Amino acid sequence: MIQFDQVTKRYPGSDEVLKNISFSVNAGEFVFVTGHSGAGKSTLLKLIAATERPTSGTVLVANQNVSQLKASAIPFLRRRFGLIFQDHKLLYDRNCFENVILPLRINGVSGNEAAKRVRAALDKVGLLHKEKAMPITLSGGEQQRLAIARAVVSRPSILIADEPTGNLDASYTADIMAIFYAFNQVGVTVIMATHDALGMSTTQNRVLHLNQGKLVPSTPSHADLSALNQTELSIEKFA
Amino acid sequence: MSNWLNHQLQAIKLVLSRMRDNLLSSFMICLVVGVAMCLPSLFYLGIDNLSKLTDHMQTETEISLFLELDASSDTISEIDALLAKNSAIKQYHLITKDAAWQQLQEKSKNNHDISDAVNQLGKNPLPDAFFIQAESTEPEALELLRNELQTIPGVEQALFNTEWAKRLATLLSLSKKLIFFIASLLAVVLLVIIGNTVRMQILTQKDEIEVSYLIGATSSFIRTPFLYAGMLYGLFGGLLAVLMMMWMIQTFNYSVSQISYLYNSDFRLALFNGVVYLTVIGSAMLIGWIGSYFAVTRAIASIVHLQKSH
Repeated sequence: MIQFDQVTKRYPGSDEVLKNISFSVNAGEFVFVTGHSGAGKSTLLKLIAATERPTSGTVLVANQNVSQLKASAIPFLRRRFGLIFQDHKLLYDRNCFENVILPLRINGVSGNEAAKRVRAALDKVGLLHKEKAMPITLSGGEQQRLAIARAVVSRPSILIADEPTGNLDASYTADIMAIFYAFNQVGVTVIMATHDALGMSTTQNRVLHLNQGKLVPSTPSHADLSALNQTELSIEKFA
Repeated sequence: MSNWLNHQLQAIKLVLSRMRDNLLSSFMICLVVGVAMCLPSLFYLGIDNLSKLTDHMQTETEISLFLELDASSDTISEIDALLAKNSAIKQYHLITKDAAWQQLQEKSKNNHDISDAVNQLGKNPLPDAFFIQAESTEPEALELLRNELQTIPGVEQALFNTEWAKRLATLLSLSKKLIFFIASLLAVVLLVIIGNTVRMQILTQKDEIEVSYLIGATSSFIRTPFLYAGMLYGLFGGLLAVLMMMWMIQTFNYSVSQISYLYNSDFRLALFNGVVYLTVIGSAMLIGWIGSYFAVTRAIASIVHLQKSH
């Protein structure tokens, strides 16, 4: 599904943010990208989502070489992803329904079909009753769930989340994680960057640990394992 | 195809609803477009109509032969004989000073100012005159004939009736060039105004554009609503310009009809000038489209650049 081969990324005027990274993610996997802030997590995700191009090496997404893709083809590649950002990037001038329908408009889906899909997505994140509410009136956790609804409404095969729980307290974090697990269980590939322990909550999930731009083998700590139980409880609640 | 159409319709709907939300400022922009389009078009209409009038006059080949005031009836019949022999003359007729005097008095009856002036003259100031229709319409041949006629004894002056019309025509063709420059300058002004307006709108929708990009919107998806906005400003501005022009032409015709009457002319500006109106609306839309295209292309480039640098 996603393959990195000796990828190096350097921004103009800075050191190498990613150094010689190689890995691959299979369809249906749930992969964490961990590391301290500045370790290159966001850059790694941007390379997958084709908002950045590698300085050297190849990035393959669904057998397409991202670095050789024409600029006009990139929007169509991005539609395969659901993107979730730490700062939500919601549009505060319109209500929840209008926020979630945006990707469908871009995909050319409209009318009843679009409305049905928007409500289904809002239902999955537990915000169906708030479709008319403005995002600013929602709590931090609800805003992030709304951002997830927007990311999944066009039924992408890959979800890419950059620290989706970074600004949230523990109970909201468990909610959000449960939603991601639920999507993963129906076959969606999830790639999530996180710097907190809760992210690496299970030994079943692969962890790509970045340290100063390099991939290093990681071992989950006890704290992570105890967080696992907590998360799994909330999965049951949502499933 | 239906998908494409659907997107266009959605974009237009979106733009119209945004315009409705900012009704006053949208109207102001349309008004600016309207006034800017109206100015050169009115100027053009006026000059175009005047030059049609003078074109018509220039095709006439009449020469007026004014005799000396004290010309005797013998002199008149001598000249008459000369004209009859001249092969360059198609036809001619004499209007005696008395006949001319009568005509003037009759025509000025309806207008008080002129009839007062005529009455004050007391005695007839008009000369006898021959009005000559030449055989040829060539300017050189006409000039030759005029010079020949001028030398006949007893003739005060031989005049082309249309000399002033020629001078006017030269002036008018100069004015047409002037209009072209004025119109080009105003087009540049409109490009800047519409471009700037669209740029401001883009800035207020920066977040939406950024997010749309991230979730896979193509450049044309982002661009389309703004292009329609520019085009609609042009359309509404153009329609306003047409309305203003019609109003002004109507007012103008009302006053010109009095003057035209005195000149035995039914000169008036046409109220419905389809070609001019369509040109005004069409070029306003085109200018709007081009202005917003430049604005949106520049703005998108800077937003994408911002997005990458963070």
